[in-house]
Amino acid sequence: MRVLHRKLIRDLIASAGVLLSVIAIIAIGTGSFVGLGSTQRILEASQAGYYRDYRFADFWVDVKKAPLAAVERIAEFPEITSLDTRVVFDVILDLEGEVKPLTGRLISTPARGFDQTLNGICLIRGSGFSDDRSEEVILSEAFAAAHGLEIGDRIKLILNRKRESFVIVGTAISPEYVYMVRGPGDLIPDPKHFGVLYVKDEYARDVLDFKDACNQVVGRVAPWAQGDIDILLDRVDRVLAPFGVLEITPRRRQASHRFLSDEITGLAVTAGIMPAIFLGVAALVLNIVMIRLTQRQRAIIGTLKALGYSNRSVMSHYLLFGVLVGVIGGLAGGAMGVGLAHVMIVMYEEFFQFPRFLVSYHTDLWAVGIAISVLFAVVGTVRGVLEVLRLHPAEAMRQKPPERGGSIFIERLPWLWRRLGFRTHMALRSVFRNRTRTATAITATALASAITFMALAMYDSFAFLVDYQFEAVAHSDVDIGMRDEASTLALFESRELPGVDYAESVLGVRCDLRHGRQARRMMITGLSADHRLTTPMDADFRPIRIPNDGLVLSRKLAAVLDVRVGDRLELTPVRGRRETKQVRVASIVETFLGMDCYADIRYLSRMVGESLAVNSVQLDVDPRETPRLYARIKQTPNARGLGVRADAKRNIEETLVETSVFSIGLMVVFAGVIAFGSTLNNALIEIGDRMRELSTLRVLGYRPGQIAGILFRQSLVTFSIGLLLAFPLGYAMIYLISAAYDSELYRLPVIVRSPIVAYTVGLALTFVLVAQWIVHRQIQKLDWLEGVNVKE
Amino acid sequence: MHHETTIAKEALLRLDKANRVFRMGEVDVRALVEVDLTITKGEFLVVVGPSGSGKSTLLNLIGGTDRPTGGRVWHGNRELSSLTDDALTEYRRSVVGFIFQFYNLVPSLTAHENVQVATELVDDALDPQEALEMVDLADRADHFPAQLSGGEQQRVAIARALAKRPELLLADEPTGALDLPTARSVLDILQRLNRDQGITVVLITHNPAIAGIGGRVVRLVSGRVAETRVNEHPIAATDVAW
Ligand SMILES: Nc1ncnc2c1ncn2[C@@H]1O[C@H](COP(=O)(O)OP(=O)(O)OP(=O)(O)O)[C@@H](O)[C@H]1O
Ligand SMILES: [Mg+2]
Repeated sequence: MRVLHRKLIRDLIASAGVLLSVIAIIAIGTGSFVGLGSTQRILEASQAGYYRDYRFADFWVDVKKAPLAAVERIAEFPEITSLDTRVVFDVILDLEGEVKPLTGRLISTPARGFDQTLNGICLIRGSGFSDDRSEEVILSEAFAAAHGLEIGDRIKLILNRKRESFVIVGTAISPEYVYMVRGPGDLIPDPKHFGVLYVKDEYARDVLDFKDACNQVVGRVAPWAQGDIDILLDRVDRVLAPFGVLEITPRRRQASHRFLSDEITGLAVTAGIMPAIFLGVAALVLNIVMIRLTQRQRAIIGTLKALGYSNRSVMSHYLLFGVLVGVIGGLAGGAMGVGLAHVMIVMYEEFFQFPRFLVSYHTDLWAVGIAISVLFAVVGTVRGVLEVLRLHPAEAMRQKPPERGGSIFIERLPWLWRRLGFRTHMALRSVFRNRTRTATAITATALASAITFMALAMYDSFAFLVDYQFEAVAHSDVDIGMRDEASTLALFESRELPGVDYAESVLGVRCDLRHGRQARRMMITGLSADHRLTTPMDADFRPIRIPNDGLVLSRKLAAVLDVRVGDRLELTPVRGRRETKQVRVASIVETFLGMDCYADIRYLSRMVGESLAVNSVQLDVDPRETPRLYARIKQTPNARGLGVRADAKRNIEETLVETSVFSIGLMVVFAGVIAFGSTLNNALIEIGDRMRELSTLRVLGYRPGQIAGILFRQSLVTFSIGLLLAFPLGYAMIYLISAAYDSELYRLPVIVRSPIVAYTVGLALTFVLVAQWIVHRQIQKLDWLEGVNVKE
Repeated sequence: MHHETTIAKEALLRLDKANRVFRMGEVDVRALVEVDLTITKGEFLVVVGPSGSGKSTLLNLIGGTDRPTGGRVWHGNRELSSLTDDALTEYRRSVVGFIFQFYNLVPSLTAHENVQVATELVDDALDPQEALEMVDLADRADHFPAQLSGGEQQRVAIARALAKRPELLLADEPTGALDLPTARSVLDILQRLNRDQGITVVLITHNPAIAGIGGRVVRLVSGRVAETRVNEHPIAATDVAW
């Protein structure tokens, strides 16, 4: 068999074009399988390791102010294994050289052993707190990096009506803020405008008047009690209720955790679907290629058998061929997968802050990837060889009878058929007679174009989402949250702020909403009767006015609570006397970020026993005056947070562009390789199969371009059919993905705008044309004299 | 029994009412009909007949690359027609050397390697180089089929067939694609192998001029043996002319 090995190597080299195109397709399949799978596992392992090492909490309870003595009673619950108390305080930061006031979240932490508490913090830079002074701060690393802050720099903020200046003694990350968002309403971390500040516990309690008290309790729950955590948290709620429980957050609703976990779940879904599609196409193409390549050796197989080679040795010779192709494809894919995982982790590092990513080589994924690749290569080879081996050697050495010779259906339309030239006839016959090959080419084009279409449409729908949320619904330039509830006075005061053209007062009240067994604690936004700076819109994107009574729910919230317009809900404000009232669902609006609930501000005020309460204002600002406005806000102790619509929008847009370009680019490239690879592959196989025919045309005087035209006609037929199928298929994918991502955090709007269709056609056409160009080159190089004399 | 071994004309192969029918959809093509034929050891048999008369089919039955649909084919006292695929493979490997009209070389292997394809199959094979020398191609050993002329390719094919030291050489129109001088040299090699080494040769041709080199000529017509003629004085291959 040694000399046959040599033949094998040379045959591999001779079919390099065909094999490279099929190996590229397999590599995409196994590569995306290994890459996405590894990335998902790396994220999962990193999350688990981080949570374990830094004791990520199982629940958070925000209270107005609870005495530590009361908290002690919770600590005695047997289900609760550990409990920490702290003071958390949102503040406005004043950074040197930064015009805008920034939002910070102050979290108190023990001066010693801050990495030992629940949600322990992991120091990145600096040495941590010293004994030298009280006003020391450890800053979240991303925030410090975004502002170029160094250890030893100072940062100013207003605490309890006093301006304080802190020295930065370290930067850190924490399992609580792997994904550093303020809360569930935020989509993307904005380290330029939001940072977490860890300050010494003793100092914080002192300055903020929390001696022997806290406003946040975090705890861990014994594994055996995890299943009943909601019941446990209800009991906690009852104990702490007298102290004004604002929010109870089990881990599954903690913002950072949810974003991270959703990402991992989403990745798992993607890792299940995308590689399956790619591998499926790869398997089909590989199968066909191997069948063709072996059948092309029909006469050689016959000769070998006539010489006395046994079926077994012929089969094992060709098996080696299949295995080699499969292994090369699998290995190329594995290597690509590792590269892909690496690139994805680099991308994730921008969003998720871990002490380190637990990177490892997932050999089982490699093994599965290679096994799949080898399996299909071998199945194709075996099918091809068996078909020849079934024949008597004498038969195998004869020329293969022509494929199904019957007339194709178009031939039965003579008025049309006669109009088409003979080259179109050749192309059409080949398309209709090689059914499997044609079906595979159509499938590959359809899937590749559908994926391209879906990727582009997803980008478009993100763009739509941003525009909708930050232009169509929200119009205010600056929102200011106030620490103490103010009356209408605040509004008039804010109108006096520099640069403010128009202002609207808003009341946010945290409430429990209950309908049957469904319940959610939500921030209800009270808008004034003539609200102009917020335009909630219904499912058909028509503006909705907030009625005088009743609630306006976003679609997702309505779905979560299982209510329809006209239904009644129980509403309990999480403050004051906590009186439960029956309220009507007045209308349902469409939002894509978080969940919203609106009411009239006076209606909402009455719910909490006041005639008109206000705790934030929305401002329409003259852009030229913003620096003066910002300077004033920095001096306002009553301001606890600030939102600038333009900043939020820009942050989302920039991040989306960055990540989308990567992930969409990747999908388009993958899809392109598949479309390109399968078109090229098909054409090269066709050239090989019809060497004699095409060479004869060359001899007769046809130019290479005219001959390539036959193959181009063929590609065009499969391409057009594939493309037609791609749009419904792509639409279904978009629909599925939008359903998969339909979470309480965000939803993807399903919209398809016409440019996307044009881009998809353009991209697909580009790939096919490049493949065609290579085919053209190939035909120019064709040794047609040899082709005419081919003896099989 | 003893006396039989002393008979000069010992039977190597015997066809006993061999039939071969090809089913082509609705119609049956009767390629061979009730063929009785004995091939003796060491003879040079030429099979002639018009195109489609069943010559190649006959050769395939003899060479074990096809099976009869009726009747029997014997190799000595072994019935080829009832052998398993493995045994038939073993027969082709150790007994038969095939030479085809279109050479059937492996295009991706050199002349030397093409011969090796055969020699690696059997234990007591000739050295490939030696086999190439016998067909006067030792100096072209490293050329690929595409770099050889038709006659040279056919000589490589002969080298490949004889390198296995077969008992039986089967040549199906080996000169069909060759010009007269090239054809002569190819036929000459076959004739010498038969004469000098006692290899039994069955040669198929539809060229009556070539028939003269055989010791016996069988003519097939429509799948039947129409005539068997013994050639008392075979002509030398080098004298063939047409
Ligand atoms: N595999 C096959 N399938 C169908 N018919 C066949 C097959 N092989 C041979 N035949 C038919 O059997 C008959 C005899 O064929 P064969 O090849 O033996 O003829 P031949 O004498 O060798 O002709 P030529 O001189 O043209 O080579 C022919 O009619 C041929 O068409
Ligand atoms: Mg023939």
